[in-house]
Amino acid sequence: MDARVSGRARYAVDAERPGMLHAAFVRSPYPHARVTSIDASAVPRDCVVLLGEDVANLGPYGCQVKDQRVLADPARHIGDVVAGVAAASPGEAVAAAALVEVEYAELPAVFDPVDAMAPEAPRVHEAAARSADEAVSIGVRPIAGSNACHRFRIRHGDVARGFAAADVVVEQTFRAASAAHAPMEPHAALAEWEGSRLTLWTGTQTPFNTRADLAGMLSIPEESIRVIAPPMGGSFGAKTFVRLEALVACLARKARRPVKAVLDRADEFLTLNRHPAVVRVRIGARRDGALTAKEVDCWADTGAYADCGPGVATKMGYAGVGPYRIPDVRVDSLAVYTNLPPNGAFRGYGAMQSVWASERTMDILARELEISPLELRRRNLLRDGDEFATGEVMRDVHFEECLQAAADAVDYEADPRGKGLCVLLKGMQTPSRAAIAVERTPVGYVIRSASCEMGQGVRRSLQLLGAQMLGCEPGQIVVPDPDTDTSPFDTRTTSSRSTYMMGRALAEAVRDLRRGDGERGFGEIRNEGGLDPDTGQGVASTHWHQGAAAASVSVDEETGRIAVERLHAAVYAGRVVNRPGAELQNEGSMLMGLGAALFEGIDFADGQVTNANLSDYNLPAASDVPRLTHELLEREGAEVHGLGETAVPPVPAAIGNALASLDLDLTELPITAERVLAAVDARAARRAGLEARR
Amino acid sequence: MRIDLLLNGRDATIEARADEMLIDALRREGLLSVRATCGLGVCGACTVLVDAEPISACLTLAPQVSGREVTTAEGLEDSDPVARAFAEAHAFQCGWCTPGFVLTAKALLAERPDPSDDEIARALGGNLCRCGSYLKISEAVRRCAS
Amino acid sequence: MYVRAEPEWIAPRSVEDAVALRAERGDEATVLAGGTFLGILMNQRFLAPQALLALGAIEELRRIEVAGDELRLGAMVTHRSVERSPVVRERWPMLARAFSLVASPRVRNQATVGGVLADADYASDPPAALAALDARAVLRSPRGERALPIDELILGHYETSIEPDELLVAVRVPPHPRRAAYRKFRSRSVEDRPCVTVAAARGASGLRVVVGAVAATPQEFRELCDGSPAEVGARYAERIEPIADARGSAAYRRRVIAAEVRRAVESLEDVG
Repeated sequence: MDARVSGRARYAVDAERPGMLHAAFVRSPYPHARVTSIDASAVPRDCVVLLGEDVANLGPYGCQVKDQRVLADPARHIGDVVAGVAAASPGEAVAAAALVEVEYAELPAVFDPVDAMAPEAPRVHEAAARSADEAVSIGVRPIAGSNACHRFRIRHGDVARGFAAADVVVEQTFRAASAAHAPMEPHAALAEWEGSRLTLWTGTQTPFNTRADLAGMLSIPEESIRVIAPPMGGSFGAKTFVRLEALVACLARKARRPVKAVLDRADEFLTLNRHPAVVRVRIGARRDGALTAKEVDCWADTGAYADCGPGVATKMGYAGVGPYRIPDVRVDSLAVYTNLPPNGAFRGYGAMQSVWASERTMDILARELEISPLELRRRNLLRDGDEFATGEVMRDVHFEECLQAAADAVDYEADPRGKGLCVLLKGMQTPSRAAIAVERTPVGYVIRSASCEMGQGVRRSLQLLGAQMLGCEPGQIVVPDPDTDTSPFDTRTTSSRSTYMMGRALAEAVRDLRRGDGERGFGEIRNEGGLDPDTGQGVASTHWHQGAAAASVSVDEETGRIAVERLHAAVYAGRVVNRPGAELQNEGSMLMGLGAALFEGIDFADGQVTNANLSDYNLPAASDVPRLTHELLEREGAEVHGLGETAVPPVPAAIGNALASLDLDLTELPITAERVLAAVDARAARRAGLEARR
Repeated sequence: MRIDLLLNGRDATIEARADEMLIDALRREGLLSVRATCGLGVCGACTVLVDAEPISACLTLAPQVSGREVTTAEGLEDSDPVARAFAEAHAFQCGWCTPGFVLTAKALLAERPDPSDDEIARALGGNLCRCGSYLKISEAVRRCAS
Repeated sequence: MYVRAEPEWIAPRSVEDAVALRAERGDEATVLAGGTFLGILMNQRFLAPQALLALGAIEELRRIEVAGDELRLGAMVTHRSVERSPVVRERWPMLARAFSLVASPRVRNQATVGGVLADADYASDPPAALAALDARAVLRSPRGERALPIDELILGHYETSIEPDELLVAVRVPPHPRRAAYRKFRSRSVEDRPCVTVAAARGASGLRVVVGAVAATPQEFRELCDGSPAEVGARYAERIEPIADARGSAAYRRRVIAAEVRRAVESLEDVG
């Protein structure tokens, strides 16, 4: 029986090494403050303390912008780590950390990305940090003298011309709150030095990035660091890039003993969250519904450190254009520093926030034009051979199919009242590289891949693909944990790319094995492309993630509580490798989308998280599941399409549009009952106004 | 203090502080299916059966199970029908919450061998799965219904 | 050293012993009933008891009895036992329902009748339900015994009138009124703590409406209970000063109070 069912599965949290100590961290209670003094004299002698002077010579790190240091000074968010301790037990470590006395000089702070762009806003980072030069660098473009660590632009055609040609123009600004990934397993990392060699057992989706960043930080060769990635109890983007690894590595080096850190749930909310965003959309169309121009402005709040905010802002920007044929497009998407905890990769990678705005605006436009929202989309959806706003020619396009399937599932055309639609495109990490090795064993094969297991079933997919290609049973194939010493390079396990990229690399490796002695084979796939950050032209994605959703809702108009009667998602899968796995990914994505739509939002008060626990922050439960269905669209001879995230972004927009069909206009996520009630009141006022005028 | 109990079908004595939660005592015994997750009893990842009823091991002080029967996922046979149903229905993704769901489902089916969909949702509502496997989990429970 | 000494575990086997120990130790020994609330406080490091007075071994406190017309629930009766008890389901259905709606089966297996009252958590379901049913909490000390209605027991946020030498040993519930209803409104997940709860009862003494989860204590205003269901709802919404929390603002709660009180009172009308 699968170890996950029998309870015998082991995660990063379970890692142990002889003689290990446990870490606890001293965190800033202020959102922005200089550390004026640290006094650790009260900490018992048998504990190890990590202070600024221990790490003064270490370099900065960061996956896209090198703006992070092991210990912070100034502290740039509540929860920023200013010191660390290691002790014999977790309880002793926490007690010791409480004995470290820190004095701060507060600095002005800012908590909103639009406010942070005002000329007089406090600067979160005084000096613009170095851009990270690595294979997935996206050409970071900071705006000098501002809190924008990156701006992404699309300039396609001429929007002035496009809007001039429009008969109708609509514009609306939308907001999406921050959210917690809330993986069930918290962040966990264990570091051990042996001479000048560092080994880390860490729950991570990005073993090679982590190794590279640590090597840079410690000024040691990458080969002297080994990152082992045990399966994770969920991640959804939370466990990406350097999180705890730098801290445990430095503590372990000072202690000369292995050091392990496991975050408690409250600290999870101070570690990495989803980008809150403000997205303004303006669309112009002719009377017949043909879109002529679109402008999208995004402010993605990346928090105190950039992390992959530049990438998220980029993806948010182009996903916000939507799967439509629009001759003239302008997008400006900013990743903006604020004094909130850092925001980073979160399932959907920015697409949800802009799809919310873009697809809601389509329904506003449909209402203006008095065309059905379904019909308006049909008239403009990209087809094979059409050019997208990035200049890419679209191939293997299935947006119409997905949209129609979603609409049919809720009988949209029979009666659209209380129903809403959303169709989207999102991209896959481009460029990227995936390599894989296959070795024959006495009983079968070993497949060495750096794709990290977080519940998405990548290990199983590799077993199934390998079995097909090698002509054996899946059970004869062993897929060990990713290990940078023995796994070939992979860019990272994100962006729903693993089955697609590793699958193709595996085919190469099997071909290589067959060409050779049948004992071993190696395969590597490079996925070339990228976008010019100044024009947004180029190749955003070598294949597109395509999907649609439909929702049917009813509203208790006295309390604003929504009941989702039906929820359906149609996702283009190309060719399904692991059917139960693919279904689970769709279902899981939809449920995450449901949470994002209805009740997930991190509440901040002056930079403090006020709902940092799983009672005040609600995750969707089994009893919240509506009548939920989905389908995986396949095509004979198609290649595998990633789908681990595609069904997240369309759910909030479909629900928002369902409410819009009832004349309830929501622009902010989450769609709380309180906000719906306010919309009910607003609708009543509008109607009373219209009545009065009669 | 020493606590005598019946643990996964065998007489056992565990050493625990009086203010130690059952989850810590059980994990020290190597029962790592009991997982610290929310600390508030809302997520169910630390569910264990005490006298066949599910409780949160993170909110139960170790001495409270003195003289009682405690079951964790490790105590289930490979042939356990509920565990098998979860495996066959693919009712899991990362697996972190799965032991808690299996034990909760066992307790539900012991009380209600043929639960309605509503009863299943109510009984499982206190176990969170962030991966979102609820549909297949409900399917697994339905497969076990008589 | 800097790790606290292990607390004393005191586990009496009789109510007399428990009362005597409680009087002897006062608030120095933390009373342990089910442990769900205490567990949260300890996990969050808000409380590190020096001694634990555990009531789990006292069989007498686990009894559900009917004496005359009155229901007597021992302080250590679990929520689950109330929910499942045939006599409570048949003769005090609103109570069985209110207890059955609390949290999850896991919590209900552990949390107790006495514990939930002694915790005085504003968002708990049982206090408002018990108040509407005119229940009394029985407090015993070496000085004797007193039975307090809920509004005299629960004074404020996590604050009760239980003296340091008193132990809550039982809850007594008079006969169930002709009609009673319990409503639990969650503004977010179905599994969320409530935003507004309403316990309503119509019996010999007229209409009673108790609103919970909106203020530090259950809210009842007998003088507002005349008139149509909508009028009662509107008056309660106006009179209560609701708190704001993750489940809703004060203004929002007012709107929900009006609707939910009206719905609760409407459900009490005879259906013929």
